Amino acid sequence: MSHLVRTPITQALEEGALTRRELKAFMSRSDGPALIRLAGWLIVLSMTTFAIWASLGTGWVIPAMFVHGVVLVHHFSLQHECCHYTAFKTRWANDVAGNICGLIIMLPNRFFRYEHCDHHTHTQIHGKDTEIIEMPQSYKEYWLYLSSYPYWKAKFSELWRHFKGHLTPADKRFVPREEYSTIIWEARLMVAFYLIVFALSVYFQTFAALWYWLIPVVMGEPVMRAIRMTEHVGRPTVADMKTNTRSNRVGPVWRFLCWNMNYHAEHHYAASVPFHALPALSKKLDGYIYTEPDGYLGAHKDMLGQIKHTSP
Amino acid sequence: MTEPHWQDLIALDALEPDDVTAVALGRHRLAVYDGTAGISVSEARCTHAGADLCDGYFDGKAIECPLHQALFDCVSGRALAAPAVKPLKMYQSRVRDGRIEVLLPK
Repeated sequence: MSHLVRTPITQALEEGALTRRELKAFMSRSDGPALIRLAGWLIVLSMTTFAIWASLGTGWVIPAMFVHGVVLVHHFSLQHECCHYTAFKTRWANDVAGNICGLIIMLPNRFFRYEHCDHHTHTQIHGKDTEIIEMPQSYKEYWLYLSSYPYWKAKFSELWRHFKGHLTPADKRFVPREEYSTIIWEARLMVAFYLIVFALSVYFQTFAALWYWLIPVVMGEPVMRAIRMTEHVGRPTVADMKTNTRSNRVGPVWRFLCWNMNYHAEHHYAASVPFHALPALSKKLDGYIYTEPDGYLGAHKDMLGQIKHTSP
Repeated sequence: MTEPHWQDLIALDALEPDDVTAVALGRHRLAVYDGTAGISVSEARCTHAGADLCDGYFDGKAIECPLHQALFDCVSGRALAAPAVKPLKMYQSRVRDGRIEVLLPK
């Protein structure tokens, strides 16, 4: 019999966490929930955009841009859902939405898809997990990561590398050979898009892209870095999903913004389950996976506590 | 390897209704689909990276790989979406007296 790769879902089924019939029900897809959330999303974006416009020329523009930025960086959450093809039942809608989100936050959609799938295969395994965020060994490392500087540095170098037509051996570990050219052309199209925005801004002599998009994204990214850290950082670096991933109990505003990705351990158990079914899956897996009752702040308290014990 | 011949696989009523069911037969791990076009049978291993398609999402027509979301037509075996490019190996099947039989070498 050919060797089968053991996926997280396989593990969940083998461990009896779920039956195939239950999984089938949870995996059921629909366009409705994402369209409804997207409508709410556009309303929120309109409100935060208006807040910037209304506060231009006053000191209030700084908090307005920050709040707008926090919403903008959460396009990552929708893109993440789309890369699993679980946001929409209509498959191409996931590609369209994922690419739009990717342009907003400069995250190439197809490349992210492969990188992220590999993260699901090798979660928290050093040298294999493509998205692992190492546990900071000092407060300095912790704050440096939160500043987003290492993140942007990595993302800019990655985009530039792919734009030039180069994939590293690390990239080639998870990008299928037949997709190399797609990844390269994706980067080139993204760069072309940003150059067009720049050219239009110069032509129309407007700073709108800076005020309403780029600066807010940079201001909001530390919040996204902080949230991404809560998913795995500080959890054991072992191939056991019961312990290596952290779910966070958070309020409805955060759940809305992150498309229910606070149910992160549940998502890792069954990545084919759409965001709208994660609260129900969470009830099913209650007590089986690790949940941080105090949410994002509790997760960071945990990380800081661990740094306190290891920091020289 | 012997010539293909009809082999007993599984009782029809033992299948997951409207879903995919994993069945081991000799050295084969097979995926049995109860789809909109009837019963069909393929190798369970994704032709891209080797994940078990029986753990994927089945919508009645296509099976989605749980690892990289490659998509395959469950009747023809055709790869419908990247990263899979090779088709799924499909096996002829038939229903006899409430049991599914499959045509494959022993």
